[in-house]
Amino acid sequence: MSACKAALFRGRKFLAAMLVSACLVFAAGSALGETPAEQSPAELATLLAEQNSSLARELRRIQREIAALRADLGKPGLQEILGGIGYILGLFGTAAFVASRRRDRSPNGPQDSGGN
Amino acid sequence: MHISDGVLPISVTVGGYAASAALAAWSARRTRSEELPKVAVVTAAFFVASLIHVPFGPTSVHLLIPGLAGALLGPSAFLAIGLGLLLQSMLFQFGGLTALGANTLMMGVPALLCGVFFQRFKGRSRRRQSIIGGLAGALGTALAALVLALLLATGGEDFFGVAKIALAAHVPVVVIEGLVSAFTIGFLARVKPALLEPAFVETRKAVHA
Repeated sequence: MSACKAALFRGRKFLAAMLVSACLVFAAGSALGETPAEQSPAELATLLAEQNSSLARELRRIQREIAALRADLGKPGLQEILGGIGYILGLFGTAAFVASRRRDRSPNGPQDSGGN
Repeated sequence: MHISDGVLPISVTVGGYAASAALAAWSARRTRSEELPKVAVVTAAFFVASLIHVPFGPTSVHLLIPGLAGALLGPSAFLAIGLGLLLQSMLFQFGGLTALGANTLMMGVPALLCGVFFQRFKGRSRRRQSIIGGLAGALGTALAALVLALLLATGGEDFFGVAKIALAAHVPVVVIEGLVSAFTIGFLARVKPALLEPAFVETRKAVHA
């Protein structure tokens, strides 16, 4: 079973390698074929410049997106907000608990000890 | 309005910590146990208020509410603001942990002053309480900007220059904060006037009695 699987895997790998090399060969061939000898260097240059500018536009867009994402990361989310409120209520709850215990234990019964 | 790490000289940082620790201890002693829920709620409101961005022209400003906290809590306001700022700096990265002392002083001292101001002048009528509350709210932010300038002046900045910039940058906040505080205090005066009772005077009596 496992040998069969390995063979299958190897076969697949081989197929993938074949596919990639075929693509490379065909792409290279097509590129060669598409570039006619009569295309002047000036045309090539404009083509390149066009591609360059479109790539630069894409890059700028992606950079802007990254900056926006980073800004969003800096902002506190709902988790932090709720966590903070929880901390506050918990700390004051503990303080109230301690204060009430202290008040109950004080010698003159449950009275506010006034201040602390 | 938060001071970041490394802006202030070390002596001011340490001094700010010492002064705010002393004030927080005083504030905690002045807090009566029956008032703890109220202090907790105002602390939570202070903690969250800085996340409420109000669009204003091209930019947006966020609320600070030291004045409102002072008016509602009196002496306990310093404790509330210290805790709120501690959690803000830990969870939201607002201001640095080393500058926490200075930041607490910057917001807490105006809060205490606003508390005194509000309790002294609030009078009896609802309208007057609302107006004085609004003034206290506006005053709190303006004073905080002044304390900010004072603290930055210790780092070698020009006091009047920084004060001018800080006050100018916070004019919209002062206005909005005044309106929010006036509305809140007017609402509380109508719904639950007991919340506005003079904590300063009562506590002082309780301590001296």
